[in-house]
Amino acid sequence: MKRRQGWLFFIIFLLTLSVYLLINYPLQLGLDLQGGSQLTLQIIKEEGKVTRDELEAVNSVIDKRVNNLGVSESNLQTLGGDQLILELPGEQNPLVASRVLGKTALLEFRTQKEGTSTDLKTLQLQRLSIKELIEQYSFEEKNQNNVNFLKVIQDDLKDIEQELNYSSTSNDLYGKLIEIKKYIDKEITNLFIKTDLSGKDLINAGRRQEQTNSNWEVLLTFSNSGGEKFAEITKSIAGTNQLLAIILDGESISEASVGNQFSSTGITGGSATISGNFSAENAKELEVQLKGGSLPLPIEIVETNTIGALLGSKNILKSLYAAISGLIFVGIFMILNYRILGFVSVLSLVLYGFFNLALYSLIPVTLTLPGISGLILSIGMAVDANILIFERIREELYEGNTLTRSIDSGFQRANSSIVDGHITTLLSCFVLFLLGTNFVKGFAATLGIGVLISLFTSLNCSKTILRFFTTYQSLREKNLYLPKNNFSN
Amino acid sequence: MKYNLELIKNKRKIISFSTLLILLSLLGILYSTFNTSYKKPINLGMDFVGGNELRIERVCEEECSNLSPDSVLENLREISINKNFINNIKLQFQNNNKLISIRTPYLSIEESNNLITNLENIIGPLNYESKDSRLIGPKLGKRLLTNCVTSLLVSLFAISLYITIRFDKKYALFALIALFHDLLIVFGIFSWLGIILSVEVNSLFAVSLLTIAGYSVNDTVVIFDRIRENLKSKEEGYNETIQLSVNESFRRTTFTSITTLIPLLSIILFGSYSLFWFSLALSVGIIVGSYSSILLAPSLLLKD
Repeated sequence: MKRRQGWLFFIIFLLTLSVYLLINYPLQLGLDLQGGSQLTLQIIKEEGKVTRDELEAVNSVIDKRVNNLGVSESNLQTLGGDQLILELPGEQNPLVASRVLGKTALLEFRTQKEGTSTDLKTLQLQRLSIKELIEQYSFEEKNQNNVNFLKVIQDDLKDIEQELNYSSTSNDLYGKLIEIKKYIDKEITNLFIKTDLSGKDLINAGRRQEQTNSNWEVLLTFSNSGGEKFAEITKSIAGTNQLLAIILDGESISEASVGNQFSSTGITGGSATISGNFSAENAKELEVQLKGGSLPLPIEIVETNTIGALLGSKNILKSLYAAISGLIFVGIFMILNYRILGFVSVLSLVLYGFFNLALYSLIPVTLTLPGISGLILSIGMAVDANILIFERIREELYEGNTLTRSIDSGFQRANSSIVDGHITTLLSCFVLFLLGTNFVKGFAATLGIGVLISLFTSLNCSKTILRFFTTYQSLREKNLYLPKNNFSN
Repeated sequence: MKYNLELIKNKRKIISFSTLLILLSLLGILYSTFNTSYKKPINLGMDFVGGNELRIERVCEEECSNLSPDSVLENLREISINKNFINNIKLQFQNNNKLISIRTPYLSIEESNNLITNLENIIGPLNYESKDSRLIGPKLGKRLLTNCVTSLLVSLFAISLYITIRFDKKYALFALIALFHDLLIVFGIFSWLGIILSVEVNSLFAVSLLTIAGYSVNDTVVIFDRIRENLKSKEEGYNETIQLSVNESFRRTTFTSITTLIPLLSIILFGSYSLFWFSLALSVGIIVGSYSSILLAPSLLLKD
């Protein structure tokens, strides 16, 4: 008897602890419940597997970039060895993040190949016209779409494509414009030769507005050796026709000439500016990319998931209704069928609910929609163990055994089926958790935790509560434990 | 209350009924593979093939004006160069014209944002607070598919290993047959749903198959447990003991199914739209699983 009382106090203690945990450590809601964007980034490596070091390096660069962007409460995790998941809570537009994250930010300084002046001039002109087209397009887009005007843009684009002898593959007009611009930038890059100065020689980046016009420029600060290299390079081309190109991810952002006055020493002082007609936004993006450093491997955004804040809160409400109504209906069903025993199972279900949620806030498990459905489903499974036990208890009672004896052997004999059943479900959860995507992992985690806790609540809590009940003489009536009309059976 | 299922008498009927269900499922799978536009055993959703799915609400004064998807697409066509792309867009208005849902092939984030802006110009203001958008690259989709298939196979292997260890080979074999029976029928039903209602399966469907596998084996194991226990202690003949054991476990199995179905039903009724088909697949699986645990698996154990 004493031991049982010990268990009762232990369970009450656990319940108090759970309530305390739930009040002080609120549950973490996934983006599908609070709104926000989630991006899955895939690291691209042509040959071989992505190593741990590479994964960590990519992770830290992305982390720096996100912080420099000023996104609060963002969360970055690695997934499956070559993927990263970035969560941007609240109403964030994934577009800005994608522009900054996708870039390798491999900064190069190149000098022009000899005899390429004419080619370069043509390409620069083409780049100018495509930039104008893009501006026109954005302007038209903000205002009412003028169909005729778009036709003009389309025709101009076709002319440029013909001149370049290249045709774009993108799905829409904007995509095509961007694609052609990239192509031209790459073609320009090909007219230049690599130098030994690169983004690695950079120690800082900044931005400021140009004095002459409203455009922005990006400031680069080199390390000592970088500054020397820069002076050396500028010295070598000063006063010649050769230009110096600043290239990011294989695309030239600006080409500049170096004046004759630098032919003796080169540009010293360890800093340079890139003025490439940047808007405030573009300048900031470039600054963020350069500050964060370059990615050791390129990445691609393979999945985005955006959920509005309003929809998120709707999702919570709906899941709450589903969970609570599920619990209530199951409770009614159990009490109708098993009477006192049913009431015991309702109590242990409530305990089950509290323990589950408390463990979520402790581990912590981020609650998502599939996670909640795992939780709701595990309610049904938690009841299963109770049903197995109760059926056994009834059989014992039918055979004429005393209440205490029936309860004892009911629990004992149901044990092996319960454990068998739970293990098969746990096996599935385990596999799902190991191999599944993060979406699936949430489901597996909540279902698995639920199954484990239900082992405790159904075997131990139910028994303790039942024992406690039977200490009261008025609750020891055998027919309170049997179906109403079947006692004669 | 005693139950009296005449298992021995109805063995043939039970096995024929299951065979019929399996044949119907196979028929759906074959039809789907050869006679549908997607040429797959089941209609794979964008989780597996990649694409862009967008649901967004319009901002309307009182009632949202009636727009036809065709005219909206026609307007979009004028803006876009790529006619083929527009032909692949599926656009629907739901909820009294308030909710727009769009499916397109894979787009970059820029292209997707661009599409929304274009739509806003055609349809009028949209409420970004109630936006739900998913973009999945085709490569990731393929990866997800192989991932789902591997996890299914691995967990089936783990489950069969476990029952072989806990029971003997014969029990394990029949439990596995019941399990495959359940999975095949759920798969077949969703094949047919894909053919008739163009219902697509996503990664949650794979999750539901795995959960059904765990659940169905659980159910069967409990009954087998009872059979084994009774075979040791009861005096009756082999077939009679099996029938008795099934009847003894009948209440437990149906009650368990009901208590699991109740929460699923509340997800179907009150839960979020995205969990509708998932809960339905699980419900079907649990019903089929209970049938196979109570009637099919023990019938297979019966001796002629």
